[in-house]
Order: sequence, then C-alpha cells, then structure tokens
Amino acid sequence: MTRYAMVIDLNTCVGCNACMAACAMENQTPVWKNEWRTWVHDQEIGSGEDVHRRFFPRLCNHCDNPPCLSVCPTGATYQLANGIVKVDEALCMGCRACAMACPYDARIEVTWEDVREGKAFYGNDYRRERPSMDKCTFCDHRVEQGRKPACVETCVGSARLFGDLHDPDDPVAQLVASGVARPLLPHLGTSPNIYYIGDLKRKG
Amino acid sequence: MDINTTFATQEIWTWSIAVYLYLGGLGAATLVVTFLTDMYLKPHRDLVLWGAFSGIAMLGLGSLMLFVHLLDHLAVLHVLNPLVLIRQPHAWIAWGTQFIIWMMWWGVFYALPYMIDSPQLNRVPLLRTLLQLGLVRKLSTRCCLRFHKAIGWLATINGIGVAVYTGLLLQSFPAVALWHNPGVPLLFTVSAFSTAMAFLLLLLNLVIKREEDRPIRVFYERTDVMLIAAELVILFSFFHYMSAGSESAMQSAKLLWSDMGWLIGFIGFGLIVPFFLELRCVLRGSSGHAPVMLAAVLVLFGGYLLRHYFLAAGVYAYPW
Repeated sequence: MTRYAMVIDLNTCVGCNACMAACAMENQTPVWKNEWRTWVHDQEIGSGEDVHRRFFPRLCNHCDNPPCLSVCPTGATYQLANGIVKVDEALCMGCRACAMACPYDARIEVTWEDVREGKAFYGNDYRRERPSMDKCTFCDHRVEQGRKPACVETCVGSARLFGDLHDPDDPVAQLVASGVARPLLPHLGTSPNIYYIGDLKRKG
Repeated sequence: MDINTTFATQEIWTWSIAVYLYLGGLGAATLVVTFLTDMYLKPHRDLVLWGAFSGIAMLGLGSLMLFVHLLDHLAVLHVLNPLVLIRQPHAWIAWGTQFIIWMMWWGVFYALPYMIDSPQLNRVPLLRTLLQLGLVRKLSTRCCLRFHKAIGWLATINGIGVAVYTGLLLQSFPAVALWHNPGVPLLFTVSAFSTAMAFLLLLLNLVIKREEDRPIRVFYERTDVMLIAAELVILFSFFHYMSAGSESAMQSAKLLWSDMGWLIGFIGFGLIVPFFLELRCVLRGSSGHAPVMLAAVLVLFGGYLLRHYFLAAGVYAYPW
C-alpha cells in the first residue's frame, strides 16, 4: 500500500517562495489575507557575527494519526488509504477544532467573504462554493495523474522530494530510513509524514 | 536538525468559546443538581421549574455562542444528527452536541408535570394553550410522571456528560500541555458543579425565598465549600505540573501565574474569598443572605474566568 510522504532539505531551500505561489495558483488559497497551504519561514539563527539565515518550508504533515481528524465532529476531515488527509468542504461546519488540534499550525480558514473574494481573484475557474477549514492535500488530484504536488514540481532548489514511504527504492523512503530526514514533534504521537533534512552547511 | 522553538498562543477560540464551555457546564450541572435534589432530597416544584428553565436557557445560549462562531452555519445539521456518533465516535464535539440536545429534552420532560401543575405558568397565554393540549397532558401523565426517576437519571447522566465533555474537548488537543492532560476534565467538572451550586443558592435566596428550604441551602453551601476546596487542590497540582513540565506547560505557567486577572480575579475572588465566606456560613450558621449571595456571585464570576484564562493561556511550541 502506498504511503505518501515528503522530504524537505533545508540545505537547498533558497527561500524563493515559488512553492507558495505554485500551491496558491493550483489550489486557489486565500492569499489576499496572507494565508497559504504551504509557506516558508524566513529565520535568522545565531547572534553577533555568527548569524545565519534559514528558510523553513511548512505544510500539513499528513500524519498517520492526525489529531485534526479525531477531533472533527462532522467527519469532514478524512484520510485516504495512501495517507493523504483531506477536508470535505460540504461536511465542514468550520468549528475550527482541527486548527486547535493541529500541532503544525497547518489549517487555514476560508469564510463566506473569502469565497466571494476568491471568485473575484481567481475568476471563473474558482472551484470553491462553501466556506470550510482548508489544508494541504499533497495535490492529490495531480498525484492521481502520476504528477508531483505543485510545490515539489516548482521547487528550483529541489528542496522538496515527494514519494512513497513504503517503496524501498523510492529516494524519500531511503532518506527517511537512513535517519537523515526526520519529522517534527514526533513525541506527540501524530506520526507525521513530512521529514526534514537539517541545515548541515551551518555546521561547517 | 537545529530546532528553534516559537511559542504561540491561539486566537481561534477566544471569549465566545469560553462562554460556551462555561454555560454548557453550568447549565448542565444546574439541571443535574436540581433534579437530584427533587428526587432524593425534597420534591420541589419551583426549584425544578427555575432550575430547568435557567439550565436549558444556559445550554441554549452557550450552544448559540458556538453556532455563531461556525464558518458554515448550515453544515451544523451534520452534527445535530445522532448518527454522527457512529461516524465520529472519537470527536468530543459530536458527543457534546448530542449530550446537550438530549439534556434539554430530558430537562423539559422532567419538568413537564410540574409545568402543568404550575398556576404561574398556566397564566402565560401561549404556554397555557400548549400545556392544556391533550397530547401534552398525555405525555406528562403516561410518560413523564410514570418514568419520572428514569428521566431524572437520564438527565443526570447527560448532564455529567456535558460537564465532563467541556474539559475533554480541550484535552483532545495534543499540542498544548496545559490542555492535554487528565486534570482538565476533572477541573472543569468540579467547577461546573460548584458554579451550579452557586447559581442555585442565588435562586433559593433571591427568587424562591422559602424558609423551609433552609436544609437545601445548607446542603448546597456545604457541597460548594467542598467543591471549591477540591478545585483549589486540582489547581495546586496544575501549578506543579506546569512549573516543571514541558516547555509548552512552562510557558502557560508563566502566562497564568503572572496574570493578576488569574491570580487575584479567579483564584483570589473566584475561589478563596467565596470559600471563606461559605465556610463561615457553614461553621457558624447563616448570618443573613448577603455573604452567601456574594460568595455565589463570585463563584459564578470565577467559573467564567477559569475557562477564559485556560483558553487564552494554551501555548503551542512550534519547532521553527
């Protein structure tokens, strides 16, 4: 059984934010209020002359044990057999419990006002009809067609790798198995499927 | 990987959800205490009517606060359907919504025989017509009176469910150490019953005002003193858990224990002052209604502050 996962290499992310733009156009996110399904933190680490700049891409971690799913009162948040966590906007009443439960701050809200704004911003191609909580879907509509998620395909530094964790020949599975790529907040028991390769270059 | 930790509080669930949690617990516990009093302490029509009406009103108002907060109000129909418990048995909001709905029904059914007998309610124009309907009278005699205790117990079970649920809801968010621990449902349940005792003491002293109810008032005062003491013990254990816990817990501790609203407002005036006021009444016998009523108002005020600060002080420790 396929288990999709992503590895993000912090050494090669140049902070161009192309992933954010590609995701926004692909998934029609409410960018007018600066809310994104994936976004890149721009951080300064260190002090004095020893200051480094680090870019830290973030998105939904598509956890094996997603707390956003277990708290969802209507069943709007659900998980596909391949591990992708999605939201059914017709079922979501927008109580925001999922946003409260998510340790990765990966939920955004789309209101009625955003739906109206979306029609003006994205034009006739705008797909959304109702408000709901929103999140990354690993671009499952592209993945179904054998393509990569928009953020992965557009990444100029190849910082994002997308693949099947259960396929031993997949580079993603190999990086995770080697221990080089590690998840965030593993102690919470969410079993996240986004793995990060630490910024090795800073260690000289 | 070098990790930066960013601490953040949330602005998603604020005062309106605190009101929902507060009125949910208070309303449900009010109904429970009222019905248990009527079943096992002393049959009391006025207490049941006032307790049921105000409890149901509080549950309704509290639910309205959550409803207003929703992004898509029409989609609430999905959670009003009892079958949601089969689809989402792990979602506490689903349980809580069902508990609240059924609590309101049991509250009406338990109070119905008293409503039909009440001269005051039978003077209210529309209500009088409703209460004189044959179907309503049949429902009252054939179901509500016949199974009065069973309905009372169903209400009690649902009411305890609502009170516990208000804490379990916060407990289900794993990223926040202040919320994700077994102390929260316990604290919120004890607080719900303490505020319900305070509310019923206000009703008995301000509205019903009968000298023969003194044993009930004394019982409520004694129970409330014990509940406040229990709340203080739970908070003390929370203080120690947070002071030497995870980073998220320690940040929450810093927020709470340096805030005068929490320290003086909630712990001082919401717990300690009413504890001593009520203890004095219990030890020396009542010296007028004023101290008890003051204590009750303070407990009710403190009950809201507890939920407000608990929501506000939940700290997420983000690894970036």
